[in-house]
Parts: sequence; structure tokens; C-alpha cells
Amino acid sequence: MSIFHGMNTTASALTAQRLRMDVISSNMANVDTTRGKQVNGEWEPYRRKSVTFSAQEGRFSNFLNVAIGKNAKAGVGNGVKVSQIKEDTETPFKLVYDPTHPDANADGYVSMPNVDPLKEMVDLMSATRSYEANITVLNANKSMLTKALEIGK
Amino acid sequence: MAISSVSLMTPTQVVNGTNKLNTTPYEAQQSFANSLKEAIAKVNDQQITSDNLTQKLITGEDVELHEVMIASQKASITLNATIEVRNKVIEAYQEIMRMSV
Repeated sequence: MSIFHGMNTTASALTAQRLRMDVISSNMANVDTTRGKQVNGEWEPYRRKSVTFSAQEGRFSNFLNVAIGKNAKAGVGNGVKVSQIKEDTETPFKLVYDPTHPDANADGYVSMPNVDPLKEMVDLMSATRSYEANITVLNANKSMLTKALEIGK
Repeated sequence: MAISSVSLMTPTQVVNGTNKLNTTPYEAQQSFANSLKEAIAKVNDQQITSDNLTQKLITGEDVELHEVMIASQKASITLNATIEVRNKVIEAYQEIMRMSV
């Protein structure tokens, strides 16, 4: 239904921010994980993951609806989607000297994940605030619709 | 763009304006009853969707909490809209009933 277009758009944003939050949780949980995955038989530390968002536009169904006149809102977008969850291969692993660690190399250094808790906290706050902002949009949307029902009272 | 040429044959344009005067009262009543039935069925669909999502959430299926909340809000708005329409209809009916003959 087209009166809920805005709500559906906001719902997609909420889902996207929830997924972002899940990824941040995973990063924070694995801040000390030295065995993230096995590469050529060798354990590699956990790599920081980040999400990439993309606008949900340019889909065939949108163009078709506009073309047959079912949807007059041609320029209005359809929300956001997570296009990929990317592993951070740019930032190098941190090296910590700990010869007693089972994953230490010949020189006694252990490579730790490239997760920076500070960055993760900032991301976490950003995700929380975005979620809240979208909830505000949704509530405004709802109050607009309920106000419309009061027309003529 | 090539796609825009499709909009020339909007289906609603073809239907509109044909034998409007030829409908009998029975047909008019039937079509009114049908559209009312359809509208109420759509409202009911929203309620069912909300119910299903709530059920899924409490049985631990993979549903986002905000999806459930939004579905319930949509159901509430559509139901309120229906109630408003009903109020208007009843109001009109009572207005006619008050008419002194």
C-alpha cells in the first residue's frame, strides 16, 4: 500500500542498522581472537568486518510501476540495503610480544586482530543514533497518518 | 526513455467513462458490496500479518523486533482508517433518517 511507503523505507533502514550492529558485535567479541580462519593450513587472526550500504533504487519493478502509472512517486527511493559485509584487508594485524602464546611465531610475536575497540565504539554509537533517528521518522510518519484520520472531526 | 511509452496505455483510462449510465441499482449495490468486502479483507490482511509476525517472534523464529512493531502499527492505522470510514457512513445514514417526511 502506498500510504505505507515511508514506513517500509524506514523499516529497511532499521533492518540495515540492526545488521550493522550485529557486525559491530562480532568485531567487538573477536577483539582478541587469534584464530579467525585457516589460510593454507595456518591460523590467521580475525579480520575486522564492515558493512556497505547501497540505495534500493533502479530495480526493474520500480521502473515498471512508474511506467504503468501504478506508482506516481518516481523519484522517491525505496530505502536502503546492505550490499556487502567486507573484511578489512588494508589495516595490518597488531603484533604483540607473548612467547608463551600457542599462536606465537618464531620470534615470540602473536598477531592480533585489526579491530580497534575505539573505532568500534564510535561505529556503535553511530548505529544506535541512526536507529533512533529512523524510529523518529517512523513515529512522525505514523502521527501524520493519525492526524490525517482526524480530518473533519 | 523507451519505458515511458508504456504509460500511454494506462489500464484505468480504458475502463473509465464506459457504460456508467447503464448500471442497474442491483449491479451498483453488488459492486459497492464487493469493493467494501475487498477493502475490509485488505484491512484484515494487515491484522493477520501482524498476528503472524508476533507469533513468529514469540516462538523464536528469525524476525526482527521492529518488523513486528511496524506491522502492528500498520494494522492499527488501517483499522483506525476503517473505523473513520464507518463513522462517516453511519453519520450520513443517521442524517438521512432524521429527515422529516
